[in-house]
Amino acid sequence: MNDATFIKPAAGRPAAGAPAIEARDLVMRFGADGPSPVLAVDRVSFSLAPGEFVSLIGPSGCGKTTILNLLTGLLHETPEGKLEVLGKPPREGNPDIAYMLARDSLLPWRTALENAAYGMEIRGVPKQERETRALDLLKQVGLGDFADKYPKALSHGMRQRCALARTFALDSPVLLMDEPFGALDAQTKLTLEDVLMNLWSAHRKTVVFVTHDLAEAIALSDRVVVMSARPGRIIADVPIDLPRPRSVRKLQSDHRFHDLYAQLWGLLEQGTTGDE
Amino acid sequence: MNKVLRLSLGHVVFIVAFIAIWEFASANRLLDPTFFGRPSGIAAYIWRGFVTERTLWNDLFYTVLAATIAFWAGSIAAVLVGLLFAMVPKLHKACEPYLTLLNAMPRIALAPLFLLWFGLGIGSKIAVAVSLTFFIVLSSTVAGIRGVNSDHLVLSRALGATPGQIFFKVTLPSAVPIIFSGLRLGLVYALLGVVGAELLAAEHGLGQVLAYLQSTFDMDGVMALLFLLALLGLSITFIMNWLERRLLVWQ
Repeated sequence: MNDATFIKPAAGRPAAGAPAIEARDLVMRFGADGPSPVLAVDRVSFSLAPGEFVSLIGPSGCGKTTILNLLTGLLHETPEGKLEVLGKPPREGNPDIAYMLARDSLLPWRTALENAAYGMEIRGVPKQERETRALDLLKQVGLGDFADKYPKALSHGMRQRCALARTFALDSPVLLMDEPFGALDAQTKLTLEDVLMNLWSAHRKTVVFVTHDLAEAIALSDRVVVMSARPGRIIADVPIDLPRPRSVRKLQSDHRFHDLYAQLWGLLEQGTTGDE
Repeated sequence: MNKVLRLSLGHVVFIVAFIAIWEFASANRLLDPTFFGRPSGIAAYIWRGFVTERTLWNDLFYTVLAATIAFWAGSIAAVLVGLLFAMVPKLHKACEPYLTLLNAMPRIALAPLFLLWFGLGIGSKIAVAVSLTFFIVLSSTVAGIRGVNSDHLVLSRALGATPGQIFFKVTLPSAVPIIFSGLRLGLVYALLGVVGAELLAAEHGLGQVLAYLQSTFDMDGVMALLFLLALLGLSITFIMNWLERRLLVWQ
């Protein structure tokens, strides 16, 4: 499970062995100063080795997205406890992080190519370089022939492919994905999951993947972290020992996949019913 | 193609029939030409105005010139103020009640005041038209900037975009379609303001000619002027549609 061995530590980044993401006793209270503070995340600890793909799963409102938002540094309120990305506390606009939202959030006035290059543009990558890289990524997600199309001409699945291209084109070591395929139909979702697996195998980023789709979490991840209903706590951290490379489509008929599904489903049920 | 051809043929037949019946009814006193004019008289008036006596060119020029100046001045000011409001929300909040009050007033009622201030020349009608155009474009600019997709903002912030980058790469382009629909209306209202002010009093302009023809019971002339103004409004719409198609291909 320790994939750290085949990640070369880049300059200025923690050496192999140091976690890419670490949370210890993380507590997040919204409106802590107000009359009715809401405890969203309660004493959560987890860590990700570089290059690891970990899913956070749990009922809605369990604080999964809150944890992602804390990692991006987008929240104005600060948590208690320790939270580090590549050994540094989170901050807004951290170039080590690429963030992908549930909706594609493509800019409708930009072509697929310009959208795939948008993240790099904000981060100051020179025009020539970012266009080459954006086109390369569009080809990797199967949109090579659609580089000049505007989002209105693309299907939902294609738009999310373009968002994947934008995310991976950033070449950030850490990817945070908030239910990126949540709005897609079942068939498109399977296809996109395989696209993501191919990209991840090729680029080997550390990924925190938030989802409420258990099958998706198992099919993609090295580990699945199960959270309880609010206040969010970690109730299980289950390694997924399915061999890689995986095809999400082929896994649908794999019995080990279904065993894991049954095991995790039980844990998830416990967490939802608040059986504490 | 065949369908389009048949449709346009249908329009031609309808218009020819309409004019023929109108002409016939006026000639046979079924319709009083004193109140409705007659097509041949209207055509003759336009012919005189633009070909033989050529008096209408001058008035057309003044009307179009005033509407154009008013449109540009009003729109540029409105977009700038709208952007300023977007940058300084407190200023917007402070100004809003006054703007609402001004916007609620039927602006054409300002025309007598502007005539006193700016005289019978081009200034007074520009002022009336600007007072209409400005508010329409301002409210669409503010609405456009407010309507920015919050996902785009979250994504850009997570990427580390500066406020300037967010403004020029996200907020402004996303507001363009709504600002544009405001500009389209703004141009129509600029023409309305100019003609309205000319009807009241002016040295030159189609509105002033219309008021004169009405007071002398020249119904052929009145109808001809109405026809010209409709054509003018139509060409504005065509120009704006063409511009929109060119500028907003992504929509």
